[in-house]
Amino acid sequence: MSDDLIEFALGTLSGRRRAAVLDHLETCAHCNAEVESLADITDKLLWLAPEAEPSLGFETRVIERYRGGDARRRTARRQRVSVYAVAAMVAAVLGIGVGAVVTNHATTPPSATTIRPLTGRLMSGTQVVGDVTISSGSPSWMIMDIDAGKLSGTVWCQVTLADGHTETVGKFTIANGYGSWVAPINGSARHVRSAQVVNANGTVLAQVTFAA
Amino acid sequence: MRVRTSYDDETSDEALLSGVAVGDDRAVLHFVRRYQRRLFGLALGIVGEPGMAEDVAQEAFIRILRHAAVYDARRGSVATWTLTITRNLAIDAVRVRRATPTAPEDRVFLSLVSDERAPDDAAAMSESFGQAHAALATLPIDQRRAIVLAVMYGRTVAEVATLEAIPLGTAKSRIRLGLAKLREAGATMGIS
Repeated sequence: MSDDLIEFALGTLSGRRRAAVLDHLETCAHCNAEVESLADITDKLLWLAPEAEPSLGFETRVIERYRGGDARRRTARRQRVSVYAVAAMVAAVLGIGVGAVVTNHATTPPSATTIRPLTGRLMSGTQVVGDVTISSGSPSWMIMDIDAGKLSGTVWCQVTLADGHTETVGKFTIANGYGSWVAPINGSARHVRSAQVVNANGTVLAQVTFAA
Repeated sequence: MRVRTSYDDETSDEALLSGVAVGDDRAVLHFVRRYQRRLFGLALGIVGEPGMAEDVAQEAFIRILRHAAVYDARRGSVATWTLTITRNLAIDAVRVRRATPTAPEDRVFLSLVSDERAPDDAAAMSESFGQAHAALATLPIDQRRAIVLAVMYGRTVAEVATLEAIPLGTAKSRIRLGLAKLREAGATMGIS
C-alpha cells in the first residue's frame, strides 16, 4: 500500500500530495478500489465513539437552524438579492465589496440557556455561495460552509473587527465548488463585523457582514 | 389525498433520510433525535470541549440534512455517512485550533487501545460497535494506538510518530500493518 494512499484514505493528506493522489485516482481503478477499501475500514471504526448527551435544547437549536437556513435557501432561489423580514431577526443588505453583496442576520436565541451564534449568508455578487456561523464563547468558532460551483482552489478567510482591524483567520481549500472550514477567532464573536474569503491576490471572492 | 408517513424507532435510516429530503419536518425531528447522542459523542471525543463539540455536531447535522437528497446508499450506510461527516468537521476544528492541542492521552478514544474486552453492554449499544471493537482488539497494542490516533483523532503519520516518539517509518509501518489486519479481520467478521 502506498503511504500517500493510506493517508488519503485516513483523510490526513493535504496540499500537493493530496492533489497528486486525486489526479492519480482519476485514471487508476486499482488504487481507487484500494482507497475505497481503506476508507471503508476507517469509517467503520467510528462506531467505536461513545455516545454522549448534548446540552438541553440541542435538538431544538439544530432544527431551528435547519429550518431557518432552508427557508432562506428557498427565498434566495426566488430573489437574487433579498432582505429577510423574519420575526426577531435583524436583516440588512450591506456593503458592496469587490463584486460582493452581503446579506446578514442575527439569529433568535432558541432558548435562554443556549448559545446565540451569529450567522450570515456568504455572498459573491448577488449569489449566495455559503453560510457562516460564529459561535459565542471563548474562543469563538467560525464555521464556514461554501457550496458554489465557480469557486475553487486555496482561499484565505479574514475577519474585520469592530475597531476596523482585519486579521487572517486561516486558509482552506475549495474543491469542485465545495468546502467547509472551522476555525477559532481571537476575541469575542460580538466584535466581528464582517468576514471575507479572499484569494492569493487579496481579491475578495465572497463576503458576509454582520450587524453591529 | 396526501399520504402521511409515520416515523418511529423502527423506521430505517434510509426512510428517515428520504423523508428529510422531501421536506418532512417529522422525519427531520426523528433523524436528529436518533443521531444526536452519537454525533455529539464522536465530536466530543475528538475536540474534547463540549461547547465546541456542540458547534461541530450542529454543523454536521445541518450538512447532513441539507444534503439528504444526494445521499447515495451505494457508498455506505447512513450511519457511517453521518459519522464520517462529523469526524471530518471535528478534525478540521482541532487542526486549526491555535492553542496547544490537547494531549491525546486526555481524550476518550485512547481507552480503546486497552486490552479490556468490549463493555458488556456493547451488543446492546450496537452490533456495529461490537464488531469494530473486536476487529481493533485483534491488533497489537502499538498498532492499535497508531490507528486510533490517525482514525479517531485525524493525526497525520508524522504527528503519530511525534506523539509516540517513534521514527516516521515505524509510524507508517504500524498504520499500514494495522489497516491491513483490520481489513482482514473485517472481512472475516463480516463487519457491515
